Amino acid sequence: MYRVQDEVSLLRASLEGETEAWGEIISRYKDAVFGLCLGFLRNRADAEDITHDAFVRAYVNLRRYHLDKRFSTWIFTIAANLCRNRLRYRKNHPVAEMPLHLSGGMDPARSLELEERHDRVRAALGQLPYAYRAPLVLRFYNDLAYREISEILAIPEGTVKTRIHRGKAMLKDLMENDEERDQA
Amino acid sequence: MKRTDVDEILRDALREEVSGARACLDDLEERIVAELGERRPRLRTIDWIRQLVAPTRGARFGQFAVVGATAAAFLVVGLFASRLLDHPEQPAVGGGIRLETAQAARTGMQDVLFVVPAPLAATTVVVVGDFNDWEATALSDEDGDGIWTTTIPLSPGRYEYGFLIDGRWWGEDPRADEHVQSFGEYSSVRYIGRGGEGG
Repeated sequence: MYRVQDEVSLLRASLEGETEAWGEIISRYKDAVFGLCLGFLRNRADAEDITHDAFVRAYVNLRRYHLDKRFSTWIFTIAANLCRNRLRYRKNHPVAEMPLHLSGGMDPARSLELEERHDRVRAALGQLPYAYRAPLVLRFYNDLAYREISEILAIPEGTVKTRIHRGKAMLKDLMENDEERDQA
Repeated sequence: MKRTDVDEILRDALREEVSGARACLDDLEERIVAELGERRPRLRTIDWIRQLVAPTRGARFGQFAVVGATAAAFLVVGLFASRLLDHPEQPAVGGGIRLETAQAARTGMQDVLFVVPAPLAATTVVVVGDFNDWEATALSDEDGDGIWTTTIPLSPGRYEYGFLIDGRWWGEDPRADEHVQSFGEYSSVRYIGRGGEGG
């Protein structure tokens, strides 16, 4: 029903209380928001919770959103703040580390080496401090520009660039160390 | 390994991870839409003022009307506050809500006084409801008589709420308009404004 409508019309309809229009907004953004949460939190159950909360909170507070701004920046900001709160909570209420299981499975044609590299980079990402992990996820999963990342994380654009640069160097070192350990 | 390799590996690894875990998103929109039900986005005070002048909107007069309505609201609140200072009223004692009807009617907002008679040994009393997103708003008992109060400005509408007295749920406010059962417990419902006591 709402498939053909543009985003602004869907948001206007949502403001009028048409929750079906909000459902269409969720369909369009749920993968991006879930990916952000999973990347930040490194825990699937928490990522699922926060994705749900982000869309409910965004709807309830939709009047705070300005239609002339990018909706993605706004919903990502809400999700990022909720993730930060959850990480703070997890410091005092840790859960047992559960490896993220991929139900889809790998394409058999892809090399085992590539699969190992993906596992290594994901493990390395989980070891990075949040300050480096968050900009990397927004840059490489959500494909955002430095300016948008700076708005979402409320840090200067220069800091975003530095953290992405350093974060990548840290990832590379962690992956290489991991590989050396396996070969030894 | 080059840094540019890290870019690509990270991008692919994160996408692969999401696609492997996204089964939980399959019916997310249906679940949230069902949960939201008839709920509408929360109105801000400025929106209430805009609604008041909506018939005149579209012309420059509308802008003057917004300013005028805001000024009038401040005047009414100011007069009300000065009267309160001259004749301070004590909150009603007993369970339930009493509406402060002298609140600036132009904004549509009304100050709702929540009153809970709690055991004298109680140390914390909070109210939670859909008006505060089910997050706690504390009540206080400054004179230690066991009557805990707080005032929350609410716009007209239907509100579901309950109290937590030292963490224990109390949802059957005797002065509520109705009681509903949700999540296995009773909550109180109050109608503010049109059709309700506060109208």
